[in-house]
Amino acid sequence: MDARVEAEKPESAPRLPRRPHQTRWSVKAMDKAADWIIKIGGIFVILAVFGIMAFLVRVVVPLFLAGELESRSQHAYEAVTQTVLAETDDYHTILALVQKDGTVRLSHLGTGQPLKPIAFEFESRKATAFARTLATGDLAFGFDDGSVAFGKLTLAATVLAAADLPKDARSLGQRDWTDGSAVYSRIPGNQIRRVEAAVQIEPAQKVADGPIVSIDTHVAGTAERPTRTFVTIDSAGRVRLSRAESRVNAMTGAVRTIVATTEMPDLPTGIELKSAFTVDGGDQVYIPDVGGTIWRYDTRDFKAPRLAEKVKVLPDGVRLTAIGFLIGEQSLVVGGSDGAVDVFFRLPRADAPSTDGFTLVRAHQLEPQPVAVVALAPSPRSKMFATADISGNVWLRHSTSRQTLLKLPRIGDAERTLTLLMGPREDSIIAVSESGRTTTWQVNVPHPETTWSTIFGRVWYEGYDRPGLTWQSSSGTDQFEPKFSLVPLIFGTLKATFYALLFAVPLSLAAAVYTSEFVPPSVRQTVKPAMEMMASLPSVVLGFIAALILAPLVETWIAAVLMLFVMIPLSLLVAGYLWQFIPGHLARRWHGLVRFAVVGATVGIGGWLAFGLSGPLETLFFAGNLKAWANRDIGSGIPFMTLILTPLAAFALAYVLRSSVGEVLAQRMRRASPTTAAAIDIGRWVVHVGAAVLLALVVASTLAALGFDPRGGVVDTYVQRNTLIVGFAMGFAVIPIIYTISEDALNAVPEHLRAAALACGATKWQTATRIILPTALSGIFAAVMIGMGRAVGETMIVVMAAGNTPILEWNIFNGLRALSANIAVELPEAVKDGSLYRMLFLAALTLFVMTFIVNTIAEIIRQRFRQRAVSL
Amino acid sequence: MSATTAEKPARDAHGAPDRGRARRERVTDLAANGEPAQWLLGGALAVGLAMIAGLLGLILWNGIVTFWPKPLEVVRLVNGTVIAGEPTRSEAYKVPAELLEALPPDTRAGIVRNGGFADRTLYKVGNFDIYNDDFRWVSDYEVAERSRPADLVFLERLEWGVAIGRISKVVADARDVTADRGAIASAHEVARRRWDTIRHIERRRIGDINYEIEHERLALRKLALQASNTGPVYAAAEARANVRIAELGKRYEALAGEAVALKQVDEQSTFAFTEIGGAEKSQRLSGIVRYYAANDIGLLDKLAIYFSRWAEFLTDEPREANTEGGVLPAIFGTFTMTLLMVVLVAPFGVITALYLREYARQGPIVSAVRISVNNLAGVPAIVYGVFGLGFFAYILGGSIDQIFFPERLPSPTFGTGGLLWSALTLALLTVPVVIVATEEALAAVPRSTREGALACGASKWQMIQRIVLPRAMPGIMTGLILAMARGAGEVAPLMLVGVVKLAPELPIDHHFPFLHLERSFMHLGFHIFDVGFQSRNSEAGKPMVFVTTLLLIALIFVMNITAIMVRNRLKRRFQGSTF
Repeated sequence: MDARVEAEKPESAPRLPRRPHQTRWSVKAMDKAADWIIKIGGIFVILAVFGIMAFLVRVVVPLFLAGELESRSQHAYEAVTQTVLAETDDYHTILALVQKDGTVRLSHLGTGQPLKPIAFEFESRKATAFARTLATGDLAFGFDDGSVAFGKLTLAATVLAAADLPKDARSLGQRDWTDGSAVYSRIPGNQIRRVEAAVQIEPAQKVADGPIVSIDTHVAGTAERPTRTFVTIDSAGRVRLSRAESRVNAMTGAVRTIVATTEMPDLPTGIELKSAFTVDGGDQVYIPDVGGTIWRYDTRDFKAPRLAEKVKVLPDGVRLTAIGFLIGEQSLVVGGSDGAVDVFFRLPRADAPSTDGFTLVRAHQLEPQPVAVVALAPSPRSKMFATADISGNVWLRHSTSRQTLLKLPRIGDAERTLTLLMGPREDSIIAVSESGRTTTWQVNVPHPETTWSTIFGRVWYEGYDRPGLTWQSSSGTDQFEPKFSLVPLIFGTLKATFYALLFAVPLSLAAAVYTSEFVPPSVRQTVKPAMEMMASLPSVVLGFIAALILAPLVETWIAAVLMLFVMIPLSLLVAGYLWQFIPGHLARRWHGLVRFAVVGATVGIGGWLAFGLSGPLETLFFAGNLKAWANRDIGSGIPFMTLILTPLAAFALAYVLRSSVGEVLAQRMRRASPTTAAAIDIGRWVVHVGAAVLLALVVASTLAALGFDPRGGVVDTYVQRNTLIVGFAMGFAVIPIIYTISEDALNAVPEHLRAAALACGATKWQTATRIILPTALSGIFAAVMIGMGRAVGETMIVVMAAGNTPILEWNIFNGLRALSANIAVELPEAVKDGSLYRMLFLAALTLFVMTFIVNTIAEIIRQRFRQRAVSL
Repeated sequence: MSATTAEKPARDAHGAPDRGRARRERVTDLAANGEPAQWLLGGALAVGLAMIAGLLGLILWNGIVTFWPKPLEVVRLVNGTVIAGEPTRSEAYKVPAELLEALPPDTRAGIVRNGGFADRTLYKVGNFDIYNDDFRWVSDYEVAERSRPADLVFLERLEWGVAIGRISKVVADARDVTADRGAIASAHEVARRRWDTIRHIERRRIGDINYEIEHERLALRKLALQASNTGPVYAAAEARANVRIAELGKRYEALAGEAVALKQVDEQSTFAFTEIGGAEKSQRLSGIVRYYAANDIGLLDKLAIYFSRWAEFLTDEPREANTEGGVLPAIFGTFTMTLLMVVLVAPFGVITALYLREYARQGPIVSAVRISVNNLAGVPAIVYGVFGLGFFAYILGGSIDQIFFPERLPSPTFGTGGLLWSALTLALLTVPVVIVATEEALAAVPRSTREGALACGASKWQMIQRIVLPRAMPGIMTGLILAMARGAGEVAPLMLVGVVKLAPELPIDHHFPFLHLERSFMHLGFHIFDVGFQSRNSEAGKPMVFVTTLLLIALIFVMNITAIMVRNRLKRRFQGSTF
């Protein structure tokens, strides 16, 4: 176009001398500016629109990344070769290593600089066993004289003003200082944080005669009145469960502790016990031996513990080298000398070989380490844990998703790991080796629980008796594990779409064909905008009407509503057959508006019949009470099955008898007068329907005799907000779309095809079914696809009317939870960048992709159809 | 479809005999006519139309009659209980089996004869503070007697919702006026006006002072973050701010005192009523919004009440958890947001369409882009909402907060849902609609027109600006208005990016910069969802939901009809000038 402007100049110059020789600069500038603005703006908008998908993908991707190692540091300490327990604070400032003699070696984790050590006062005893609770961080010590003491190692953080930093503090790294015992760190907002270690130990309680070799403990109750449950093994191999209750005397402030102890019976002697565990509340005791057998005791009756079962968890010849619970004490991790890492659940089983109906089940088999597993470190927050093997490999794993998140670089060759610890915020793993070398890995594993297989496959969660597809993103309890399976939500979306289309597609297509082919243009011009008006109704309105008005009404009249689907078509057919009696000249005169008015009246009569006869019909088909019937409390499925099978039987009969009886009747009717023909036709139809009902009844009875019941699948227990309501309400949203687009497609069939067919002597009906419909079929298909796209993404109707329970059943009388509704309900509460947040973005991406594919197919078909329609 | 085709088949239908061939006979082929099948098709259309008519009728009827004052009924039940209430609706219901067992035999026989159904009426009994329930179902077989006493009064209160009872004592300015109807009315008017004044002081004037105090604090905090809170500049600013805050505090005290004094006066006027069971309740006269003796008023009074309720609905704020009062903030929010959306979507949509149609080289890429744009119109709205929250609010808004409003952190300013982000999200949602409509309109401008303009020496932009755009205007306007209609009715994405159930401040007010893009707002569509689904009693909210629905649908239909009218008018204007 620039060329054109220039080409103009030389021509105009000589003839019109007064005109400026050049195009005015403002015109040029405007043109250039418009050129740029439109190009940049246009490309920007197109990119922005496509950026949506890119952005969704970007948010979703971290869900599938395992984790990353941010840094690794190693320090060697002297005099820590006897480490039994390790502890660090939330901010990774101080590392505390509890030694066998009760001293606590403290060091600055970042630089490895030692701090002043502190110590637990064991008096004259020698500690022989140690335990630490996962949830509360309480410590328990077992001593050589058979006594037990409880203690606590706290790493308390306090925030101070910057001015409170002690003058004599020496610098530790970039932002930390120490005064010898506490560590000060600079934090934003001109403040410092002081972290200091402190120990406390309570008086020892005697529970056994010999030295205690293993201990495990749990703390319940309040801080003022703790109840501690602990299990001990003494050097003689006796296992005892004890309960210690501490009471503070309100008057004197003295603490009094009462200990009750019971011994586990029936434990064979001569086995080498690994350790003993108890769970929160102390109603189970697990005693594994090194051979891989676990003796599980039922201690709900504290005074009389019973051996519940004896399970071999590892194959013969494999020694049990590490064992421990994950947070929540439902998952028992077992590590073997062959490197196996398995997770066991205690589950109720009908055929359990135990006395309490429960048994240990191997739920997860994780990737085995190359050599024997020697240490386990559960996370204090989730089902993540770290395992270390004898040759120094440390792997970070997640129990539920079965994935190995990180294989950390080795500590050093064949250095035995004594203690493995996972930081309080799951962002670090600390290993202390025999030689006193401490290795700290800073890790970032934001979404350990999600993988492709946990999102789309079956996952075995704690407390579930088999792997399943579950969506449950939040719960009231602390130790709740979020369950992110998109399958129930995708299923919900598809279920809603299916039932909505089941209702909307026949209705809208039939209406479109009728509008396009059998109605005078004047009627069409009013009917079509009226149907289109439905499309502009906000879906929140449809949802409100469906949930608050329709749902209670349908619940009361459910049998009548179901009968509508039978009575309206039936009355229309009867009226259609009767209409054939009307003489030809009248039928021709009335074929437009008058006939449509009668059709409308017939629909009304059908509806009235359904409601009026709902009592007898309910008795006939649903044993008098549909809800009880659907619940399988009363009645049989045969009448309902007959009802469903009748149309199929009718089609089958028509197909089979077409060439024999049908042909004879047709010949007869051809020769008869119109009235006689109509009479024969209606008689034939009545016999046909009767035969179909009989056939359906026979088939239904046979199926019922074979044990098939329609209830339990598509028809089951009735819930007020159900898919029937959703399908109907969504019909309002989908019908106008399918109707308009398919009506347009029918109308786009060139007029000369129609004219040619009619000219050849085809009736209107024949023209419509054999010429127009096949030609417009691709356009109609596109219409259905576009309607489907709308149904898939519809949000407000499903939020309001679907009940929002994530279930996996086709029951039309139950609700569903769709992807879109789930996003609308849960996203406002999701923490930014958390797993739920990203999962909901994945749900949105799934919706986006689903609708995009459906719409693209529809669009391509539609364009093909347009081209073909033009070329016809 | 013309008349010729309409008649032809009718003639063909019964096999019009061809006189030329003697062998052909007159046949009746009913199957060729497919009459019963045609009836099924016609039935589908009739059902579709009935669905629309039913839905619109339901909304229209409920929306219109909601505000009409209904009579009050006193119902004495067979078991002696007496209730007073406004009959809301009646329905037939299936009597549960266990209830049926407990009924007297003749009643039971009647119900069984009726197919297990019985009629019942829902009475709005009000007095939530006394009964703990707003509504009560009364089955017809329970009723012993119905009456409509003239002295029963329907009260709409600021708190606790509706009350129904008899006036027992009215005190106006410490004077007993119970007997004098006129005096009650005028005292009520005075009390209401006083209440308005108190509200004005508390909300508006004290609100302004709080706003200024907050403003000073934030300015100081910003200074502290920019430099440090130790230097002399800061000390001076702090001193200045403290003086200002102290001064504002004094004004605050004065206004608060004024409000307290008015409230003391207000306490002097009280209103006491006795509910049907005999319990008496007294409250401030100003807390009564409206009262009328429902069975003792004429048509004119009823009309006055009807219109005053509509006026309250359209111009007042919601109360009682949105189930009563007005929806002004929601109307305002819907309107502002839709307008902002159009302002955003119009230039971008038109520019993109211009680019695609006039500037880009037509080829497979452009047609692929076109298909994609078409498809984006079908992407679920909730997906745009997710994008809006993640990208606009959290990423863009978060960055804006970091750069421009660090003093307000950690409470977000733009870093959460708000008016701007809602408008942008909906703009993104509707931009395909505008692009498609504009492109179609541009394509409809004849090539000859363009070529003529260029031949006359117009530059490309001049051609577009003066020839193409004016001609395409009807199509563009239609696209924009349809986008508005879609945007105004969309709720799901807004739930994620800025709509709230109750916004204390309107997005436009008298504080600089007047239009507050970061504020969250109320929306008619969300109001429907909230009142219908999240209020304590969905039955109590139903009238409100119906009226709001009527308003929203009216708004959307008006927009759609405007679109059609604009299109027709502009079409007519350019019709004569085609070559």
